[in-house]
Order: sequence, then C-alpha cells, then structure tokens
Amino acid sequence: MKTKTIKMLIVAIAIIAIPLSSLVTGCVSAKVAAKSGSQLWSENCRRCHNTPPANTFSGEQWETVGLHMQSRALLTDLERDKIVNFLKGE
Amino acid sequence: MKKVITFFGLALGIVLFPAGAKIFAQSNTDSTLYKLQQEVNSLKSGENHFMVAGLTTFGFVSSSIKTNGKLQNPARTNSFDGDNFEFSPMMLWRHGKKLLLEFEPSFDGNQIGVNWACASYFVTNGLIIRAGYFVLPFGMYNKRLAAGWIDKVATDPIGVADLPPASDWGVEVEGGLQLGSMKASYDVALTTGYQIVHDGAQDGALQNPNGSGLTDNNNNKMVTGRVSLLPIANSSLEIGFSGQYGNVGDTNDSLYKNATSMAYAVDLTYLADLGPLLLNIKGQYNVINVSKQAFPSTDSTSAGKTYTFSNTTTSYFGQVSLRPVAIHNKILRNFELAFRYTDFMTPKGSLWEQNTTQTSIGLDYWLSWRSILKLTYETVNTNNFKLGKAGDVTKANYIYLQYSVQF
Ligand code: HEC
Repeated sequence: MKTKTIKMLIVAIAIIAIPLSSLVTGCVSAKVAAKSGSQLWSENCRRCHNTPPANTFSGEQWETVGLHMQSRALLTDLERDKIVNFLKGE
Repeated sequence: MKKVITFFGLALGIVLFPAGAKIFAQSNTDSTLYKLQQEVNSLKSGENHFMVAGLTTFGFVSSSIKTNGKLQNPARTNSFDGDNFEFSPMMLWRHGKKLLLEFEPSFDGNQIGVNWACASYFVTNGLIIRAGYFVLPFGMYNKRLAAGWIDKVATDPIGVADLPPASDWGVEVEGGLQLGSMKASYDVALTTGYQIVHDGAQDGALQNPNGSGLTDNNNNKMVTGRVSLLPIANSSLEIGFSGQYGNVGDTNDSLYKNATSMAYAVDLTYLADLGPLLLNIKGQYNVINVSKQAFPSTDSTSAGKTYTFSNTTTSYFGQVSLRPVAIHNKILRNFELAFRYTDFMTPKGSLWEQNTTQTSIGLDYWLSWRSILKLTYETVNTNNFKLGKAGDVTKANYIYLQYSVQF
C-alpha cells in the first residue's frame, strides 16, 4: 500500500473512531436550561478557539460579541444570554 | 421573468416569514408591551454600540523547493512571509439587541479585500437573517478556522480554504436549535454565485466574479447550505453537512451557458479532555463537481477541435492538536502540538490537473487566549499534469515562525 493511502486511512479512522467512542461512553445528558452560564461558556466557546476570560471586555462589548458569536457558533438565545450574563459578571 | 418572480417570492418569503412568526409569538399583550418598550429603548441612538476588533498575522518563512529532483538555487530562501500575512481590522456595530453590522476589510500584502460586510438581524430564537457580503456556509474552515489566531498551523489547508471561493453577495438565514439534550444548526445562503473559467489555462475552474474581472451574467442564484448536529450534550462533537448548487454558465456564451456546479462537504469538530490534555480534532472533506463541458483545444496541432474531462475536484484535511490545559506549570500549559494533513486533487485530464499533499507539524505557544506564536514545519508535494500527461513534480519544505493576534 502506498504511504499516502495509509496516511489517509489513519486520518479517517482517527476522525471517525474517537468521537464515536465518546458517544457511547461519555454521553452525559443535560439540557441547556439546567446548565449555568459558566458551564455553557466552558463547553461552547472552545469549539473554535480558546475560551475567552471575562475580563477581556466590558459588559457592553460582551453584548456585541455575544451576538457576533451567536451567529458563528449558532447558539440558541438561551445559551447566548446565559453566557453573556456570566461574562458580564451578572 | 418567471425566474425573477420566483426569486422575489423567495426573498419576500424569507423576510416576511420571521416577521409573521414574531408577531404570532408575541401575542401575550402585557409582556409584549413591556418587551416593545424595551425594544424601543434599545433602538434609541444612545443604544448604538461600536466596537473595533480585528486580527493581524505576520511571520517569517524559510523554504526549499525541488522541481523534478533538482534543488532550487539558492538551496534555501528565507524571507518575511507575504503569503500568510494578514491585517484585518473588524468593525462591529450593534444597534440595540437585535441588529449587528460587521465590516472586516483585510490587507494581504498585495491588495485590500473584504471578508465580511453585512448586516445581521436576530429575529427570534433560532433565526438570524443576514444580508450583504459574507463568508459562505460551506464546510467550516473558512467561516470558523481561517483566522490566524484560531488556526494552529501557519498555513491554510491547500484546496480547502479557497475552494469553492469563500465569500459572496446575497442573503442568508441561520440558527441554532435545541433537540432535547442534543443541538442542531442550519445555515442557508442565496448568493450571486460563481462563473466557470474558459481562458485556455484554467478551463473549467470556478471563480467568484467579484473582483476577478468577470461579471455574473447569468440570472440564476447559487444556494449554499450547511446543517450540523451536536449529538453530545456538552457540545464537544459537531458534524456538519454542506451542499452548494448553482448555474455557473455564461449566458452570452452558447458553449457554457448550461454549466452547473454541485459541491458537497462534510466537516467534523471534536474536543475531549484526556486527563490534563485537551485533544482537538478538526476535519473537512470537499467535493466539487462542475458539469462536463467541451473546451476549444489549446494545442496548435488540434486547432478547431475541443477537449473535455470530468470536472471533479476533491480536497480534505484532518487536524489533531493537543494542549496540556490542566497542568500546573504555567509555561508548559501554554504549549500546543498540532498535526494537519491535507490532500488536494484537481480534475484529471484538465490543463490544471494536480495532486498535492501538504503535511504540517506545529509547535505553538499561546501568549494569551488570542495571541499565538507558531513554529510550523510543512512539506508540500505536488504532481502536475497537463491533459493527462505527467508534468513537473515539486517537493517543497517550509519552516514558518509566525505570530498572530486578535485585538
Ligand atoms: C463556530 C466557531 C466559534 C465558536 C463556537 C465561538 N467562536 Fe468566537 N470567534 C470565531 C471566529 C471565526 C472569530 C473571528 C471573527 C470572525 O469571524 O471574523 C471569533 C472571534 C471572537 C472574539 C473576538 C471579537 C469578535 O467578536 O470577533 C471573541 C471575543 C469571541 N470570539 C468570543 C467567543 C465566545 C465568548 C464564544 C462562546 C460563546 C465563542 N467565541 C465561540 C468563531 C467561534
């Protein structure tokens, strides 16, 4: 087999197997309504970049970033509001 | 005419549907009044909020390229990296709590382009409407990972980042939905669309008419959409499926007027805490199919004849990175190790056939959550072909030292 095919297989297997394994083992069911703002912040923001600390911006700026990131991460309104309130220190 | 009516009908539907839904949802009079008062307050001019953010990426590259086994002269060149340079201030203007305008011009060292220039209206839970110039919801690299301070290696994955072209004019609807303990999202855009190139060098390739000198001279719009599912309650896994369809023909050119393009992508994001380590997996697979066309032969011996090929382009990347986020040592905690493999294949039998693989290994140091110092070692191997005949084989390796910050 060519090394390229092997590399491709390794990448494909890693990409498929690792998340699937956690579907079976790590699936803790909890609805957004039951979660705190800080939990939603720590779960959602790291999906694309490092999780920003609350002291990065003012409350007004967090409102703006909240809308901006809601449209990137496609968060529900409830998630956005809880996260923004947490970041504003409310 | 019929098309124009359908198009306006669609546009009107997109605009009116949420408005209708909103009126319906707010039929509870007391709370409606209160909400309206709040909304009026939030729309007063004192509620305009302007924020400047943005990013810049710059660095240094050392490269060595072998063509058909022959090393370039000098064997290695060292220079400031123009290819991955970016300076993009971003203006965010929020009006009240429902309207966001964003403008992100970007200077790449040669020219000033625009990544985003659009208005987004947050109609109701699960519905955002956008109009203007924006990054298309095809796959996830362009919309989510392309920023230098987000990307963990110094370069973009070849053939994924710009194919199909990233931004376009139009309207978009998107939103996030809760499905029990799972989540889902949708994102659909109706835009101007691409044009097929028939210039004798890139015959059959797609280009975004914006800024390329081409005009969009077909009246059909392009539809791009992505749906995603986050099946695990902690949102650590996201799987996205994208599709894109449009007429890419040139109405004035009888040869290509019926050309269409159909593209698909699958993308995946997965994060896991493995003891003190954060494992981060990202991947995307793209296929672009442009309908088969006959192009005038470029070869003088077969003048007057045409040639054709199956116009399919595929590309994918897979990336794994590891960061010891939860260890005590403050310095070690900021290191991250990243590996990315990219494969890119353009149509067999075309004038621009190539098969490229890009392997990137990165050691990163995070100076803050949004500023990063990257050391990336990368090899790029390309086999070129012309009308099926093997051409140059290049093997290149690069060392990048790059700094990127979001401000
Ligand atoms: C789906 C990917 C994604 C997720 C999830 C995400 N972000 Fe972002 N974020 C981005 C991108 C991409 C940018 C760069 C801006 C752009 O799109 O041009 C960004 C930029 C930012 C910025 C810089 C200022 C700005 O508004 O651009 C902040 C602050 C930020 N994100 C905070 C957050 C927070 C807080 C969360 C969690 C709710 C979050 N992000 C979740 C993709 C994401």
